[in-house]
Amino acid sequence: MRILIVEDEVKTADYLHRGLTEQGYAVDLARNGVDGRHMALTADYDVLVLDVMLPGIDGFEVLQSIRAHKQTPVIMLTARDRVNDRVHGLRAGADDYLVKPFSFLELVARLQALNRRGRAQEPLDLMVGDLHVDLLNRRAARGAQRLDLTAKEFSLLAVLARRQGEILSKTSIAEMVWDITFDTNTNVVEVAIKRLRDKLDGPFERKLLHTIRGMGYVLEARDEEPGIEP
Amino acid sequence: MNRSLAVRLAWMFALAALTIFLLVGVALHHVLSSELGYHEAAELATRMEVIQHLVSRTTTLEKWLRVHEKLDALAPGDASTRVWALSRDPLFEYGDAPGTLRTRLLSARGLDQMVLSPDRPPYRILARTVPAAGERPEVRLVVALDTARFRATMHVFALALLLLCSLGVAAVAGLGYWIARVGLGPLNRLSEEARQIRPVNLSQRLATDRCPTELTHMAAAFNGALDRLEDAYTQLQSFNADVAHELRTPLTNLIGQTQVALSKERSAPDLEDVLQSNLEELNRLRTIVNDMLFLARADQGAAAANAVPTPLVPEIRKTVEFMEFVLDDVGMKVRIEGEARAAVDASLFGRAVTNLLQNAVQYSSPGAELVVRVEQDARGARVAVSNPGAPIPPEHLERLFDRFYRIDESRGNSGENHGLGLSIVKAVAAMHNGAVFAHSAGNMNTVGFTISEAA
Repeated sequence: MRILIVEDEVKTADYLHRGLTEQGYAVDLARNGVDGRHMALTADYDVLVLDVMLPGIDGFEVLQSIRAHKQTPVIMLTARDRVNDRVHGLRAGADDYLVKPFSFLELVARLQALNRRGRAQEPLDLMVGDLHVDLLNRRAARGAQRLDLTAKEFSLLAVLARRQGEILSKTSIAEMVWDITFDTNTNVVEVAIKRLRDKLDGPFERKLLHTIRGMGYVLEARDEEPGIEP
Repeated sequence: MNRSLAVRLAWMFALAALTIFLLVGVALHHVLSSELGYHEAAELATRMEVIQHLVSRTTTLEKWLRVHEKLDALAPGDASTRVWALSRDPLFEYGDAPGTLRTRLLSARGLDQMVLSPDRPPYRILARTVPAAGERPEVRLVVALDTARFRATMHVFALALLLLCSLGVAAVAGLGYWIARVGLGPLNRLSEEARQIRPVNLSQRLATDRCPTELTHMAAAFNGALDRLEDAYTQLQSFNADVAHELRTPLTNLIGQTQVALSKERSAPDLEDVLQSNLEELNRLRTIVNDMLFLARADQGAAAANAVPTPLVPEIRKTVEFMEFVLDDVGMKVRIEGEARAAVDASLFGRAVTNLLQNAVQYSSPGAELVVRVEQDARGARVAVSNPGAPIPPEHLERLFDRFYRIDESRGNSGENHGLGLSIVKAVAAMHNGAVFAHSAGNMNTVGFTISEAA
């Protein structure tokens, strides 16, 4: 996936460039609105990450001139969280909107969501190591042993399994499993993960559900030695 | 229009004075005029009496000639009084009445006015008939009195009245201006006092005890506004101090542990550990900043933009379901009672309910049953979360929704809870035109908020 970042703040631009490159994206960087507009119009990108506050011409203007010619998906970044800004941005044709301070994981998740749009349907059976998740019958098993999960635990597992190998933040887990779209300061996700982990990894040698401190959780079959996770 | 109050009042006084002087003047003029008229009529009547008496005693022509002399004496030469005696016999007549004048005089009945010569104002006349006696035939007597004096008096009076009125109005206006200036003195004093109030002496108030009663209300209202401002200002100040304090801890951790990490050669896993710890602190900072921005928006009067009529119980059930694992962990159950519909922004509403539930979980012991009570009321809806727990003293109760306020300081820095949870509930209530409430009775503590439909 080819991404153009239009961002004037040096540190933000640099870490986005580096982070997204390491995620395997082809990333170009424009440090002001004029360059950004030029690059967006002359090259073909899959997604644009566009800051609102830019020197020269601002993000809304860049978006407008791009929309006049192209339908490249755009994620707007802003430090101002005014409802008007959001509406303004979405009306001007932005596909998504992130308010600073946002987490990098969140950005990656949104990029993937934009990229996933219009793709073929997801498979109904998922395999992670020896874990088999049957989405149709809502059943999960490790090897031959069936896992006895509650409905919510299964939903959580399904969300993690669908995005296996991807780090999911607590916020996006809350959103995907419980449809909770607002900020909470509860430890619900931690508790839920702990429960799922007890059933999923507890009795087994090979751990699949991993905690990435300060970032979130990832379900994947790692090759490394088991037992180092907290 | 920015006109002086004193000038305005002076104008109004002058207008009032003008009206009153005019009314009094017209009345006086009228009284004087009718009084003078009455006197004239009386004088005419007196003279007529004398003449009538004289004429009625006269029965012979010889005596009539003597009447002539007496009548000459009665009517002076300046023509201010004129007398006629008219009859069929030219011998028994007095006064010069040629042609038309004679006819007009004969047609006069009782008290009347008549122009006798074009160069003089009309005369007031009185006519009477004396019946025939002896040689003398019936005589028609006419006495005329010149009204020039009357008119002159009235003219002078009117002039004097006009002059006095004008002077009076001017005097009242001037005095009124002065009175208004003096009367408004307390206002100037109040403005001077108000001008002295600065952020550094925000607790200073207008002195209402020295105010005239009419201004006490205004001064009290102004003081009330100052009270509210001072409260808001003080709250803002302490809020800023709290913010700084709340941010200080994570910042200290970040700076400190980063410095420690960099002060020595570290292995990659060690550095990773530091970064992860930093990330945790940074996330905490982010949460605080986001919540504070949220509160600031509510403070600025932001209203729930996406409020749509929603049945509340399913929304509450959703958040209870979300909290299920946490509740399960501490063996708590939630009972939802009642039902209501209100226009709410589902995500704001959910956030408030989650915070209330979390608060209830935090302050009750394992195994407790929490009750979420929903009620429809006249203005909208009411959501209350009750939990069994130690009674909350009143002084805590009223500060429960303050930012960064914690009943139990030691439980404060647990990372999860940064003391803004109930402030957010309050902000959400405000965004829905509602309010928050908290009470503690028996061993049940209830915290909740209302939603008002009124936009």
